[in-house]
Formats: sequence, C-alpha cells, structure tokens
Amino acid sequence: MQRNRIAHVAAALLTTFVVPGIAQAATKQEMVDLLKAVDNRQRNQGDWRSVVYMEQKQKNKVDVAYEALVFRRSQDQKFIILFTKPKASQGQGYLRIDKNLWFYDPSVGKWERRTERERIGGTNSRRSDFDESRLAEEYDPEDNGVAKLGVYTAQVMTLKGKPGIDLAFPVIKLWVDKETKNVLKRQEFALSGRLLRTSYYPKWKKAYSESRKTEVWFPEEMRFYDEVEKANSTLILVRSVDMKPLEPNLFTKAWLESKSR
Amino acid sequence: MTNLILDFRIALRSLFQHRRRTFFLMAAIASVTGLMVLLNALSTGISETMIRTATTLSSGHVNVGGFYKVTSSQCAPVVTDFAKVVKVVEGNVPEMQYWTHRGRGWAKIVSDTGSLQAGVTGIDIKKEPDFKRVVNVVSGSIEDLAQPKTIMLFQSQVERLKVRVGDAVTLSAQTNRGTANTMDCRIVAIAKDMGIMSKFSTFVPVEATRALYQLRPDTTGVIQLYLKPRYVSDLNEIAARLRKTLEQADYRVMDPDANPFWMKFQSVNREDWTGQKLDVTTWEDESSFLTKTLMIVDGLRVVLLIILIAIVVTGIMNTMWIAIRERTREIGTLRAIGMQRWGVLRVFLFESFQMGVLGTFAGALGGTLVALAINSAKIQVPLSVQLFLMSDRLHLAVHIAALAKASFTITLITTLAALYPAYRAARLPPVSAMSHFG
Repeated sequence: MQRNRIAHVAAALLTTFVVPGIAQAATKQEMVDLLKAVDNRQRNQGDWRSVVYMEQKQKNKVDVAYEALVFRRSQDQKFIILFTKPKASQGQGYLRIDKNLWFYDPSVGKWERRTERERIGGTNSRRSDFDESRLAEEYDPEDNGVAKLGVYTAQVMTLKGKPGIDLAFPVIKLWVDKETKNVLKRQEFALSGRLLRTSYYPKWKKAYSESRKTEVWFPEEMRFYDEVEKANSTLILVRSVDMKPLEPNLFTKAWLESKSR
Repeated sequence: MTNLILDFRIALRSLFQHRRRTFFLMAAIASVTGLMVLLNALSTGISETMIRTATTLSSGHVNVGGFYKVTSSQCAPVVTDFAKVVKVVEGNVPEMQYWTHRGRGWAKIVSDTGSLQAGVTGIDIKKEPDFKRVVNVVSGSIEDLAQPKTIMLFQSQVERLKVRVGDAVTLSAQTNRGTANTMDCRIVAIAKDMGIMSKFSTFVPVEATRALYQLRPDTTGVIQLYLKPRYVSDLNEIAARLRKTLEQADYRVMDPDANPFWMKFQSVNREDWTGQKLDVTTWEDESSFLTKTLMIVDGLRVVLLIILIAIVVTGIMNTMWIAIRERTREIGTLRAIGMQRWGVLRVFLFESFQMGVLGTFAGALGGTLVALAINSAKIQVPLSVQLFLMSDRLHLAVHIAALAKASFTITLITTLAALYPAYRAARLPPVSAMSHFG
C-alpha cells in the first residue's frame, strides 16, 4: 500500500516536472534539426562559382545594376565577390579569409577590413546572403509556431545569434516552408528590436554538386527591403551556378588584385 | 581708541540721519556686489564644469601619454609596455589618488542612417569610479561597457545617427600601419551631453580600441593620474617632476607643449625619430582650446565690473561732495569744539566704510540667493550656449572665499572713493566753515 502511494507520487511528479521538460527540449531540438536541414539542403561541401546580378533601388537616386562573380569554398569558408559591371565598379571585390572580410578597390589600390554588416557594393545585401547557409552554427532557434505565408505553410522561428560570432544581424525571424524546407522569408533585427531588413526568397533552384554527389538547393532570386530607409530595396539574381573545383590559389589578395590590372 | 569709537558712532548716526541718500548709495553698492558675485559664480561654475568634463572625458589631472612612430612620418597616440611606465609613476607621484589608462583614437562611426567622426576612447569601466559618477546615463547601462564590442554614445550623437540602445554601429579607422579597419559595436549606454567635448567623444572598452587599431595587449593610449584634492593646484610642478623622473628612467620625453594630444600629430609627424616618446600633460593642456572660452568670460566679467565700479565710485564721491557742502557748518562746529583734522577725515571715511560693509553684505546675500535659485531651477540653455558653458544647464558656483573677496574689494573701493572728499572736508578752516551758508 505504502509502495503504491510512493509510486503514484513519483509518477505525478514525473508527469508534472520532467515530461514537459523533455517535450520542450524536443521542440527546441526539432527547431535545431530543422535549421540543420535548411543548411544541409544548400551545402555543397566543395567549391562554388556563380554569376550574380544585383539591382539596387534607392530613394531619389537612379537605379543601379551590378554584375559580379561569386566564388566560395566550403572547406575553409573562403569567399570572393568580384564585380565585373558596371565599369565604375569593375575590379572591386570582397575576399573573406580566416573569418576576416576584406574589400579591395583598384582605384585606390588598398585593402580595407570590413565587418559582416558591410553592405555589399553599397546595396542592401550582406556577404552572408551570397555564402552557404550556416544558420544552425551561428544562431539558436526558438519556435514561433506555424503560419500561412501565401499558399505556403511555414514554420516560423526566431534565431538569436550565438555569442562571439560576427554576424550581420543578431536576431532573425525566419519563415521556412514546412514541405520543402526552403526559406521563404526573413525579418532581420538589431538587438534593440528594431527591424532592419525584410528578405524574400521567391525562387529556389537545385544544381548537381560534384563534391556532395547530390543536388544542392540555392535561392535563385532574393529580394531585400530596407526597413530603415523604407524606399530602398535590392534584387539579387543568382545564375550560372557551377560547383566544379576551383583553382587552389584563387582565394588570395593577389588573385583579386590581378583581376583589375 | 575712545575717539575712534566716537567717530564711528558719529558716522553711523550721520548715515541714519540721511536715510534716503544712504539707501540709494547702499542699493548701488549692493547691486554691484551682487552682480560681481553672480559673474564670479558663472565664471567659477564654467571653470568647475570644465575641469570635471575635461578630467572625465579626455584627461586625468596629469597624463602620461605619448606617440609611437613606426616610421618617422607616421605616428600613433600609443604608450607601449605601459605597465612599466605605471611602475615609475607610482613610485614618484605620492600625490596620486589613483590611476587609470585609456585607449585613444579617432574613427568614423557609421549607423544604418548616418555617420559622424568622433574620438574613440577605450576605457576600463571597472577602474573608472569618477567616470561612472559624473556621466549621466539616460538610457542603457554604463556597466555594460565591460562587455566586448560595446559603445557608449552621447545624446546628440544618437540623434544624429538615429540609433538607440541595442543597435549596432560600425567604427571605421586606420590602423597605425595605414590599413583601414572596421569593427561593429553594440550601443549599451546613451549619456547626457556634457558640452562641446561630448560632441566628439565616444567610449568603448579599452580592448576594442586595441582591436580596432590592431595593437598589442600591453599598449594603451594614455595613463591618467588623478590627484588627491589638495594637490590639484600643484599640477605643473608634478608634471615637471614626472618628466624628469621618466627621463631618468631612460624614457624619451617630449618637450612641454600646452596643447591636447590630437593637436600634436602634425608636429610629431614632422620630427625625425622613430619608436616611443612619452608626453606628460595636465588637464589644462588637454583642454587648452577650451580654456580660451573661460578667458573670454573672465575678460568680459572684468570689463563689466570696472564699468560698474567706476559708476559707484563716481556716485560715492559725488554724494560725499554734496554731504560736505551740506554739512560744512557742522564740520566747522566740530572743528571749533576741538575735533582734529584727522577726526573729520575719519568720520567721512567711516561713513563710506559703513555703507560699503552694509551694502556688500546685502549684495553678497542677494547674489548668493539668486545663484542658488538659478541652480535649483536647473535652467536648460540653448545648444550654442552649451558649447561655451560646457554643460546643458546653467550652473553657478558660489564659494565663501569668493563672497568675502567680492565684499572686501567693493568695501575697500567705496572707502577709498571717499578719501579725497574727506580730506578736503578735513582741510576746511573752522571759521570759514562755521560762517558757510549753503
């Protein structure tokens, strides 16, 4: 009788305190797993080459269009953007090595170290928009439930930047398509809670990755809306994706400098 | 002695007899004294605010800064291996209360909507008790400056950059070797403006300045020494002694130059040397561009007081002349019953002296009350005035010593103003004075 009572109390305690804990942990784990899945679908674990077209709209200014080459290497997280058009920006580029982002302007022949908040080419895009998705490594997710985004059913989550990592945005609200695990929308915030940018990913495409021996997804079109300067927006189109191995010495300052000589 | 007391009483009675005249003269003396007290309080208030602002934002009482030159034409405000310098300082400045060190730099601060140029001072907030006490934080927490990659801005900067606590700004600067570097900092505190200097000052953790300028952990920008209050007036002696001591400890020390460190870049860059040179300065040197403001205020105060005192002196002399004319027969009678010339002189001087004492007392009291009322009203001054006052509010500092000085000076002047008329009264022959009709 006594033993039965103890067992009942223990069961009640377990139900009250431990089981919800496990359930909550599982939800958080599910979010992390979902984030990893989002990353994995885009990760080619090798080299990457693509052409990007950027169109920048700014209030009271003429629209500007850029063409650039993007090179990246998953292995050591190296990254290059080399502007090819318009002529005024030709030869300008960004190089990321050893987690440092460098900007090169051939007209002054100098390298400048920039942070992840840098607006690439003065547009509303950031370096991380062109790089592999590393959300699970860089952010801790929090579940915000499921919501409808047009015809899509999206898992909504809030991502908070892990300490000690240089990030363009410390807080992101993310809408992930439940069915395909593609990112549909992002809202990027400052730590103060101020909304800085809203991004939409209307088109996703897949390409075969030699290194991964499978197909890799990438956003073919990205639209960034500046929430601080409301009239400013940027359209990015990703084309000619090639995941064949690149030259080993490509990710160097010398290579980028040589492109403007 | 009895004569003196008698003369004093005669003078006092005479004042009471001519109440209206006495009242107007005393009112004039009181007004000048009150004005002198207020002008002194304003000047002292600006001076005190300036010391407090300068020693909080950009300087200690005495500073050991310096420049490091990688090449002869490129200098940086850096003190290398500063722990060794501190050891020398600690052993030779017993007047020191505590020391702290700060990183020095100048950067472009960029937000999502704007940018500005400002000095970037690296501080160790845990070692800055006065800084925490003097800086008035209106949003965020100053203690969060202990966290890496954080920044404290002032209200006017925040308005310009359109940011708030929690937002990020990018600091962009050139390292000492000429490479452009940037760093993101999170705004953790917003402080109330502190005059012109807060327009160009921002504060980050000292490690942030090292990271921005790519400096080693054993470097700093300046070692700031804070003196015990009774030694604050001995700044120049202590600075001179420190220069000598550092030279004896084999450091190269720059010649005294009463200018802030950022005004020395051009001259240091022109000099043909490389390596480290130390520069010992005082807070007055570091804010010399601001002390000119104080000199202008002081100059205006002196001119104004000279004019007012001249008016009062003329008034007293005139009144005395009238009094002598009115009381010529009285003077003749006094002389006839045995009062000496010195006695007559004393009576008139005492009259003026008594008016001076009573007038200055009333003026000092009135001036003090007005100053206290202004302080308690916490009057907000316009931005253009803030630049000169070094504060967003009108602050008047009244000190007993200043009150005593003002009262003594005006009393002395009023007494001396009566000297010549009193002398002329004393020289009147008794017979002609008695037969005078006027």
